[in-house]
Amino acid sequence: MRNQLKNIARSRGLENAILVSILLFLFNLIFPLHDTNILAIINELLVFLSVFLLYHYVHQFLNSKVDSPLTLVLNAGILAALIFFMVSIANSILGSPDSSKGIGFFNSLFSVLLIFVFIGSIVYIFSTFRELFFLRQKKDLSTFYNTMLVFFALSFFSNILILFDSSFDYPKDAFYVVTIVLICLNSTRVSWIAFLTKKQKYYLLIIAIILSALFGMNIATFTDNGIMRQIVYTFSPGLHTFMSLVMIYGTINFGIIFFTTLFHLPTAEAFDRKAEEVSSLMDLTNLITQVFDFKELAETITTITTRVCNSDSAWLVLKSAKNIELSSVHNIGYVDADKITNNLLGSGENDYDSIEIIQYDSIISNTNEGGQIFKSIAIAPLKVQKKINGYLFAARQRDNNFDQDEKKAVQAFADYAAVALENAKLIEESIEKERLEKELDVARDIQRKILPSTVPTSNRLEISALFVPAFEVGGDYYDFFELSNDLLGFVVADVSGKGISSAFIMAEVKGIFESLSKIITNPKELLIKANDTLKRSLDKRNFVTAIYGIINKKNGLLNFARAGHTPILICSGEKIESIQPPGIGLGLDYNTGFASSLKEMEIQLKNNDIIICYSDGITEAKNHKEEDFGYDRLDTIVLNNREKSLDLISNAVMKELSVFSKNHSQHDDITLVLFKWNQNN
Amino acid sequence: MAEFNVNLRGVGSVSVIDVKGYLDAHTAPELENIFNKLLDERQFKVVVNFNELKYISSAGLGVFMAYVETMRENKGDIKFSNMKENVYNIFDLLGFPILYEFYKEEKEAVHKFGDQG
Repeated sequence: MRNQLKNIARSRGLENAILVSILLFLFNLIFPLHDTNILAIINELLVFLSVFLLYHYVHQFLNSKVDSPLTLVLNAGILAALIFFMVSIANSILGSPDSSKGIGFFNSLFSVLLIFVFIGSIVYIFSTFRELFFLRQKKDLSTFYNTMLVFFALSFFSNILILFDSSFDYPKDAFYVVTIVLICLNSTRVSWIAFLTKKQKYYLLIIAIILSALFGMNIATFTDNGIMRQIVYTFSPGLHTFMSLVMIYGTINFGIIFFTTLFHLPTAEAFDRKAEEVSSLMDLTNLITQVFDFKELAETITTITTRVCNSDSAWLVLKSAKNIELSSVHNIGYVDADKITNNLLGSGENDYDSIEIIQYDSIISNTNEGGQIFKSIAIAPLKVQKKINGYLFAARQRDNNFDQDEKKAVQAFADYAAVALENAKLIEESIEKERLEKELDVARDIQRKILPSTVPTSNRLEISALFVPAFEVGGDYYDFFELSNDLLGFVVADVSGKGISSAFIMAEVKGIFESLSKIITNPKELLIKANDTLKRSLDKRNFVTAIYGIINKKNGLLNFARAGHTPILICSGEKIESIQPPGIGLGLDYNTGFASSLKEMEIQLKNNDIIICYSDGITEAKNHKEEDFGYDRLDTIVLNNREKSLDLISNAVMKELSVFSKNHSQHDDITLVLFKWNQNN
Repeated sequence: MAEFNVNLRGVGSVSVIDVKGYLDAHTAPELENIFNKLLDERQFKVVVNFNELKYISSAGLGVFMAYVETMRENKGDIKFSNMKENVYNIFDLLGFPILYEFYKEEKEAVHKFGDQG
């Protein structure tokens, strides 16, 4: 919307300027000689208006070009040169001024066209000065500039006074002088020079001196009594004044630009470096949020460090608890960088808590062993929350030391590297966490499919099974096998380890027990066979504890063997007994030790006897004091609830357990399998 | 929680490992590092002093199972000493006393190696 309005204003500006110019043109064709004061005044007004409107238009047009001040300067220069050549050529062709020469139609047309070229050029140059004046200004200086414009206008119109009385010229001179003073003042606003690069400054230096001279020569041709002066002055004295003022402005302005640039040259390099540092840091900030791979970022950081900090080589090392690892190098071999790093950090007595400069000679006496010889090395720590995660090195082969600014720059890059490193770490951790959670989902899924969904039912044997998985999947497994009409086999097992690996072992254990239970009806033999089978697949450090039992549903005879599992509890009347026949865990020993230690037990159940099988998830559950839930608590709960149904007993155990271990996450799976013998049914 | 410390010292030709705190799946790798170091140095006679161990999980037990075979093949062994009752109960339940030697005092365990020559 706003842009549209601006566009309209600009196009109108052009129309207005053209309209007035045409008026001026026609006026001059009709009245080639302004021999009366009225004509002269009208002419002056028309000239002023066309200059003003043209200026207004060009100024808006140039506004879009302020990003490249050198282009502005160059354009102004070309126009100044054009004027110079036109004046020179006109002077040599038309010869010396001859006031007696009549001014014919052709002559006046030619001069009017010439004047228009002059007006265009001079307005463009003047606008350029305006843009240069406001370029990179922080304060609002329009008052200074507008004052100058007013005096330009006053000087322009003061010429009219002379028309009335030729002795009445002191206002003109006064305005002229004041304008020049203002020009001088305004010409000192050249802060934009500081923002040029070193190369641009050299370029500007040359252009400025040429332009200053060029404008100077233009002044000379306009004041000296040449033909062009004659033409312009005859056409409009005000325009002549304006043109010479602009030429003076050009001379002074470019003169000042020349000297300012000259004085800026020594600091040009420092300024360039600072600018590069800032833009590099900005690039880095972008990179940090985009690059997940720290290695890639480290490459960028070393490259930039070398460039910005005036060093020959740079490298970055990461420090972990145990060792120091080279992450990326620039302009130096891995071996060399490693050697120097070890020399500087190897002893471990200096941990370079803040940036330090090392004079290399003082550290290593013999430097002529490698390809590169460094005289000075800056070491900056990669610090995040007071923890040092690594170091950034910048090394110089020259003798000159790192100055304060360069030290700061190296440290700034090190800080960025530290943040990026931390980011990369966090991202890696979150990916790892996600992977782990997916893995646990799989493990839980396997476990859910392995465990029986229902428990077998029978008249005389009541069965209840409770299973509560731990977050990490503990590896508990239980199952029932209908061996015949009378015999029910059962297994309660616990695979060591957690997560997906234990879930797979669990699946295998299920397969082993399911198949062996069909072949072997003796618990001890079955467990021995299971141990032999597991030998092939179980890792050395994994084991499985298990109880395998067979209950005769006809006569209540329990036959079982225990392989390292938590003992069976039998609640008989008001008594509860822990039964722990000898037997080592599956997978602990594949020699004769397993078979020879394993003892089978046979128990005749009495009416209402309860068999309790459980996993160590219950007895080893911890409270906030890190105490175990233990066997006694379990015994008491079962005894107190023995008259209730098996499900209620399970519930009572679970309830006590959750009260005991509240505020403490469940570390292991909890399995509780209960049998109750009802002889009378 | 889950604080664990392991320390290795030599008593004559026998290496004694002091374990302290909680030995579980997270801390087991520290103990494994010590055993790997012993294998590198061809030290096969090991006594583990459990005096300050508070808890051991199945992953902790697995460490001993992983290395005992190699030690025994090289005429060495892993022997346990100074175990607290609650820790011993875990070993006992699994049947470790059938496969490993347990001693009340570290000295006895070290001497036992001496007797074997």
